[in-house]
Amino acid sequence: MASSSGNDDDLTIPRAAINKMIKETLPNVRVANDARELVVNCCTEFIHLISSEANEICNKSEKKTISPEHVINALESLGFASYITEVKDVLQECKTVALKRRKASSRLENLGIPEEELLRQQQELFAKARQQQAELAQQEWLQMQQAAQQAQLAAASASAGQQAGSSQDEDDEDDM
Amino acid sequence: MSGNSEVDNGNHASNNKGISLPMTRVKLIMKSSPDVSSINQEALLLTTKATELFVQYLAVSSFVNGSGKTKNTLSYSDLAHTAEQTETFQFLTDILPKKILVRDYLKSLEENPPEETDN
Repeated sequence: MASSSGNDDDLTIPRAAINKMIKETLPNVRVANDARELVVNCCTEFIHLISSEANEICNKSEKKTISPEHVINALESLGFASYITEVKDVLQECKTVALKRRKASSRLENLGIPEEELLRQQQELFAKARQQQAELAQQEWLQMQQAAQQAQLAAASASAGQQAGSSQDEDDEDDM
Repeated sequence: MSGNSEVDNGNHASNNKGISLPMTRVKLIMKSSPDVSSINQEALLLTTKATELFVQYLAVSSFVNGSGKTKNTLSYSDLAHTAEQTETFQFLTDILPKKILVRDYLKSLEENPPEETDN
């Protein structure tokens, strides 16, 4: 939820996330409200601290983007070297998960059938579908014609009946 | 190895492996630091995790060293105290005025009246 006042300094980690972390870290401990608020603000300060330091290191390296290396060096120089192992582990886990996911999806895509064969199968299916459509349409057309014939026959015999007085022997046979 | 494609963005990582803080928010805060332009996605992940560790460490050591331990509470002053005592937490002193009672403040004013200065 971005700050609506537009002031960047109002940005903090959501209180709920901090509360959850505190609860998990210190279960069953009562934490004063102002203490929680303080932790939220300390978070922001910490992030600024790391970013500034990493940014400086980045500038010196003449790279434009802050890299993981820069962050790690920042942690080290600021006295948080003890965090390094754990943060690196998390990074590794995330990469592994992402890698597995990509492998899984590509395995699905490639069931061992070469692309040309897949294309050919697709064309076959399309052709078959078109044919079925055509047959169906033709059947419907035939049915319509027959129905029309019936209607004409019925109309003809009706009018023939009316003309019963006349000497028309010709039966109106319906031609196709 | 391209960093951006390998690491999940935003909340994905938050839902997965041991990251509770929202990375998108962390990124916003980082960018509000002066001069910070672009941040590699992996670097963001590292920073987020480091911040989490910081919170945990701050909470635990404040509790353990604090006066609330016997009563199973954690107070503002526990935190302020720890920040003062811990070398690596010195950067927090700006936002951590130690709270004092009003009457103590008034008393100290009596004893040492401040000069008239424009602040």
